[in-house]
Amino acid sequence: MPPVLHDPAKLARAFAAIVGEANLRPPAGAEARCANLIVAPSGADEIAEIVRKCEADRVTLAPFGAARTLAEIRRAPADIGVALARMKRIVAYEPDDMTIVAEAGATLAELNAAMAARGQWLPADPPRPELTALGAMVAAARFGPSRLSEGTVRDLLIGVRFAGHGGRLVHGGGRVVKNVAGYDLMKVMTGSFGTLGIITETTFRVRPLPARRLIATTRFGDAASSFKAARTLHDAVPLAHLEVASPSVAAALGLDAEFTLIAGFGGSSVEADYLRSRIPELLGADCAVAGGAEAGAIYQRLRDFDLSASSAELLAATPPAELAALLADAPGGFLAFAGSGIARIFLDARAAGDLTRMVEALRTRARDARGHVRVVRVLPELRGGLEIFDQPAAPAMNLMRRMKAAFDPRGVFNSGCFVGGL
Amino acid sequence: MASVGKSALDSAAVAELRAILGDDAIVSRPTELKVYECDGWTIEKSAPELLLRPRSSSEISAVLKALHRREIPFVPRGAGTGLSGGCLPVGAPVMICTSRMNRILAIDYANRRVEVESGVVNLHVSNAVRERGFFYAPDPSSQMACTIGGNIAENSGGPHTLKYGVTTNHVLGLEIVLPDGEIAELGGPAEERLGYDLVGAVVGAEGTAGIVTRAILKLTREPEDRRTLLAIFADVGAATRAVSAIISAGVIPGAIEMMDRLIIEAVEDAFHAGLPRDAGAVLIIELDGIAAALDAQAREVAELARASGAREVRLARDESERATLWKARKRAFGAVGRLAPNYATQDGVVPRTRLPDILREIAAIAERHSLKIGNVFHAGDGNIHPIVLYDERDADETRRAIEAGREILRACVAMGGSLTGEHGIGVEKMAEMPLIFSPDDLIVMSELRRVFDPELRANPNKVIPAPGSCVETAAPRRQTAL
Repeated sequence: MPPVLHDPAKLARAFAAIVGEANLRPPAGAEARCANLIVAPSGADEIAEIVRKCEADRVTLAPFGAARTLAEIRRAPADIGVALARMKRIVAYEPDDMTIVAEAGATLAELNAAMAARGQWLPADPPRPELTALGAMVAAARFGPSRLSEGTVRDLLIGVRFAGHGGRLVHGGGRVVKNVAGYDLMKVMTGSFGTLGIITETTFRVRPLPARRLIATTRFGDAASSFKAARTLHDAVPLAHLEVASPSVAAALGLDAEFTLIAGFGGSSVEADYLRSRIPELLGADCAVAGGAEAGAIYQRLRDFDLSASSAELLAATPPAELAALLADAPGGFLAFAGSGIARIFLDARAAGDLTRMVEALRTRARDARGHVRVVRVLPELRGGLEIFDQPAAPAMNLMRRMKAAFDPRGVFNSGCFVGGL
Repeated sequence: MASVGKSALDSAAVAELRAILGDDAIVSRPTELKVYECDGWTIEKSAPELLLRPRSSSEISAVLKALHRREIPFVPRGAGTGLSGGCLPVGAPVMICTSRMNRILAIDYANRRVEVESGVVNLHVSNAVRERGFFYAPDPSSQMACTIGGNIAENSGGPHTLKYGVTTNHVLGLEIVLPDGEIAELGGPAEERLGYDLVGAVVGAEGTAGIVTRAILKLTREPEDRRTLLAIFADVGAATRAVSAIISAGVIPGAIEMMDRLIIEAVEDAFHAGLPRDAGAVLIIELDGIAAALDAQAREVAELARASGAREVRLARDESERATLWKARKRAFGAVGRLAPNYATQDGVVPRTRLPDILREIAAIAERHSLKIGNVFHAGDGNIHPIVLYDERDADETRRAIEAGREILRACVAMGGSLTGEHGIGVEKMAEMPLIFSPDDLIVMSELRRVFDPELRANPNKVIPAPGSCVETAAPRRQTAL
């Protein structure tokens, strides 16, 4: 269906009637690439009304937290952006059950702050938790170093509420840590990039904060030997996280500009004391082991790492042992989550055509290793015809088309920027 | 019965299936089909009209294409160890059993992956990789018999899922034959998903998305060492308070399992595992991880258990003592068979801190219905497994057993819990779905189901109650199905 050209004043009046004049605003900064008008509802009921209005009048919408992901993947702004910034309530925190329920506009940092006094956290640790709204974290399947030991949002999300087509307020899962009642709507919403509905509330299982944290770093002459050491270590001891950084990324992390293995451990004091002596046996005497505040600082730099000066950032995923070969002669720098088979790749290019060729070459090789490559960020002037997502194989893609049609029959939810143009 | 699928299993259809599979893959004699009339949920029984035992994905594809053309519904089956009637044929004349597809196709230690056919027995996966120091984490009590395909359908758990997660956390890729016969590969050996998480939607769909034929699973590294403790309590209240105390202290054991007196006695009669017959409840607590830290952790846990009222905490001294404890736990269900001709196992979940409340409630329900109910369950997850004993020859007792089970589930829901932690909804708990899901939730779930199975021919009449049905309609259905 061709898009409808809406009269901006009429559109603003229609949504002001739902959320109030004070909760409409023009987009600011990167938001301008996401939506022409920002609507900030106060709760799920208003979101349901917004969805019904959008479906009735063929208004396109894009749900967002900080608008970082959307600004990268949308080719043109949606008619309205549904900002969750007013929906930040911690609905229920049960420290003894180790579960927490929060509205989707609360940030990860706010969630963790609510649990800090009880020594707990949500161990999903994507970059910049203070900017990461929970709904966006789920929708974009954002993750960080701790995925190796704690899993990702996919593993931690035990309940979800969202506004679906027809303004239906739907929930899946519940508030218990083990639950197989009904279809797994948490998995469906995780990584759906806002194309199936607007997430309004999330429930997570949480974990104790590690009493002690250690980080070991070791330098290597080449990528292959750093990945080999990573695997040896991974097989020998339980790790919290495990990375290999290319020289440029190591330097940007404040380490020496060499291929660097970074391994994190979290646990009790007894475990930490034991590992302090065990790690040098495994990695060699010239590894550096940091603890206490120093380990905390390295972990935070690692988690929040960004090379925004680069032209583009990619996310490559392969089976873990295939990652070293993929990265061996890849252009640019990388931060590889070695135990998980995932790498953030930072590319520099002068022209859109060059960048597209580099990405396509990586995609071909990732596919050969039964993996794929996603574009996470790209300078707008270099985007050209670059596809953000790889294309799934035909039978799976057909199911995804049916999934989109089932959840979004009118095509209002952030359409056109997901896999296969969904 | 509600919406029974249209069946046209005439002689021409049977002849076509025979031509695809050959005679040795088809069971059609009623006496032989009786074996397939139920799974571990024995209250309802209904044999299929025809049982197919295909050898490959392409055979399943050919079979489903034929059934699709003839508009004949089917029900997939693994080993039939399910506990919610998930593979009970309800309006599906054809049952398709994956047990012949039992090859482990590839073990990839470097990537910690294993690719298997869906009929592989759960324990065979761990057995195949153990000598290299790996295991497949989800370990249901039926793991000696249940298949990976069945585990995927039910999103099965097990004692060690407290620390290691359930089936969905360990399945990366699937090959599925869709109900129209098309073969689709979903996911793959990489951890990150590309596009919608179709694997996540199929795991736990209880066989309503099609027939899973292959799976790529994650392997987990064996912990360096373990400590297995037996904590002995005077009553279940103290035992369950100890569970919360341990987990709140920041210790995440590999497993915490509870058995009450009725189960302890049954297990002792059957296996002489050395459990104290005079105890009100015991906890089996397993700690795993870095060997150097385990003794300190075991001392901490023993202290926490004593502070919660444990009269004694024993430590398994060697692998044989550990194996005895786990054998007692995993065979508890079998031991219960000695106590009554029949039993029904419930699978409700409550927030962990509500365990003392739900156990009190279960005792009251048992008393009210003059029934014996034993408890053996995954205490760390709050996932209860009350075992309701009855004799199916006694119609009134059977009725009371069903009613008691439903009251237990309603109590779980009232405490903020769920109907099922790992056994699935099946036919057993379908009528209770509206207790936790709104009509809109159920509409969207059924739309999701139709993405894979637009004509509702894969395992029909399961999971989501037919529109217009309600809790009250369930009782007569169950009585007629007995």
